[in-house]
Amino acid sequence: MISTIYIEEEIAEHPRSRAILERFPDAEIIACERYGEIFNRKSQNFRLQKKKPALILAKKHKGLVLSTPKQYGIGAEHNYYFSHMLNCLYDCRYCFLQGMFQSAHYVLFVNYEDFIDEMQSVLNQHNNDPVHFFSGYDCDSLALEPVTHFTTTFLPFFEKNPQSLLELRTKSTQTRSLLKREPIKNCVIAFSFTPDKIATALEHKAPPVEKRLQAIIDLQNAGWTIGLRFDPLIYTRDYIEEYSTLFNTLFSKLNPDLVHSVSLGGFRLPKDYYRKLEKLYPDEKLFSSPLIEENNSIGYPADIRNDMLTFCKNIILQHVPLEKFYPCHETI
Amino acid sequence: MITGPGKLNTAAAVTYHHARIGTQPADCWLNIGVAGHKTIPVGEARLINKITDKQSNATWYPQIIFKHNVSCAALITLDKPSATYQSSLFDMEASAFYQMAIRLGTAEMIHCLKVISDNASQTMSSVNASDVKQMITAQLETINDLVENLRTFSHELALINAEPEHYQTIIEQWHFTQSERRQLFRLLRQWTTRFSDQEVLSTIDRHKTAQAIIRTLEDQMKNTDFVIHD
Repeated sequence: MISTIYIEEEIAEHPRSRAILERFPDAEIIACERYGEIFNRKSQNFRLQKKKPALILAKKHKGLVLSTPKQYGIGAEHNYYFSHMLNCLYDCRYCFLQGMFQSAHYVLFVNYEDFIDEMQSVLNQHNNDPVHFFSGYDCDSLALEPVTHFTTTFLPFFEKNPQSLLELRTKSTQTRSLLKREPIKNCVIAFSFTPDKIATALEHKAPPVEKRLQAIIDLQNAGWTIGLRFDPLIYTRDYIEEYSTLFNTLFSKLNPDLVHSVSLGGFRLPKDYYRKLEKLYPDEKLFSSPLIEENNSIGYPADIRNDMLTFCKNIILQHVPLEKFYPCHETI
Repeated sequence: MITGPGKLNTAAAVTYHHARIGTQPADCWLNIGVAGHKTIPVGEARLINKITDKQSNATWYPQIIFKHNVSCAALITLDKPSATYQSSLFDMEASAFYQMAIRLGTAEMIHCLKVISDNASQTMSSVNASDVKQMITAQLETINDLVENLRTFSHELALINAEPEHYQTIIEQWHFTQSERRQLFRLLRQWTTRFSDQEVLSTIDRHKTAQAIIRTLEDQMKNTDFVIHD
């Protein structure tokens, strides 16, 4: 699956780097000074590179843990996000990463312990207040778990710090490492969904809805708390039917008591990212959706957006209480 | 194009080639040449995955996104010939080639293939022009494979970058401002995606102004149900 690995000289001997290199004995190994020499170079084509992404092993020096935008959160006052990886195994056509990054390569920051130290500082800063940490903004939290062993390293930290909460945002069914251990209360495995037909059209290489659902059921049965994320909501003529089917399927099979939170938000992208995506995929139907530009963002016009959000909210609230419902406040 | 030895000749050749044929971002650029190495046998080829310019210490990483049968290696570009053989390949052209080509093309489409001309046991003093020609000729199959791989991507990239159908016809027939051209470009692409079986020209042929055309296309888009899935 991975045939080229770039590795920063500084972390070439890091035990995590060595273990990953051993896992890919046939990969071409290329030394580099800083991952940005490869990842941030202009003139790269994300779409072409996505056909054969390389893995870049790097060290994250700054900005290991960052505050989330104000409108994001699932119940705490203090919210932070962190990315042990950049880019994703999947190829979802609506994903902002394609607009944000020059490269489709996967960057893995192997200095997990520095992330954990930074999280400890954040916790200290907030005394004993609840603090939420979100993983999965710039990558899928679990998709490369067999390679990264991300949860194996990070979960013990959260286990020791019950005032904190970790959200693992994912579409992946790579849940083996979670199922092998005892669940912890302050970790939410948050699965993203779009209706089956929309997922088939837009979420390339991602596990089908049915498999994601099975992964959730297995996690719930093992005692893990899960989250449901309907963000982005995607408009199509028969969205009422499609989303009704999705909600009915999910809520008929899940244990609502083990659903920590449900969030939703309409499809929207910063204008610059959207324009880049449009150029990369001119033949993509999503970009001929009824979209408008407002406040430097591209998204659905207010009537479509509000209709969709209201419709989905009403169904969701039939299944989960209001205090578990977190609509993302739209920026447009 | 034969560039001749050295960075200056190579950079000039890349620029000249671009100016002469008007290269596009979808075009492939391939630098084929010879290089030295400490141990790799003379005559073997290597596809370059890292180029370092010895003088400036600048580095580039050619993006190899296709399957290939040739081994890869890192290369250092020197300003002068050297008989100090190392574990990296060394030549006198690749950094200049890549540095110039990356300004004109797309990273995934720019590559260097080097054939080993000399090593610690067969030094360059024994290599002449005829030998080089022979060494390169012996690698023609590898070169052809590489070109075929790049051609596939070039074709895909050209399609991605292509103007939508009828765009030129419309802007020649009606007066569009720059901003209206951008709107038209986008609307025609969306039209092709959504109404592939409908002829756009017949929809707009009675219109007198660019604004009327844009309005019609927008209205048709707005008034037609949008379905994202098949």
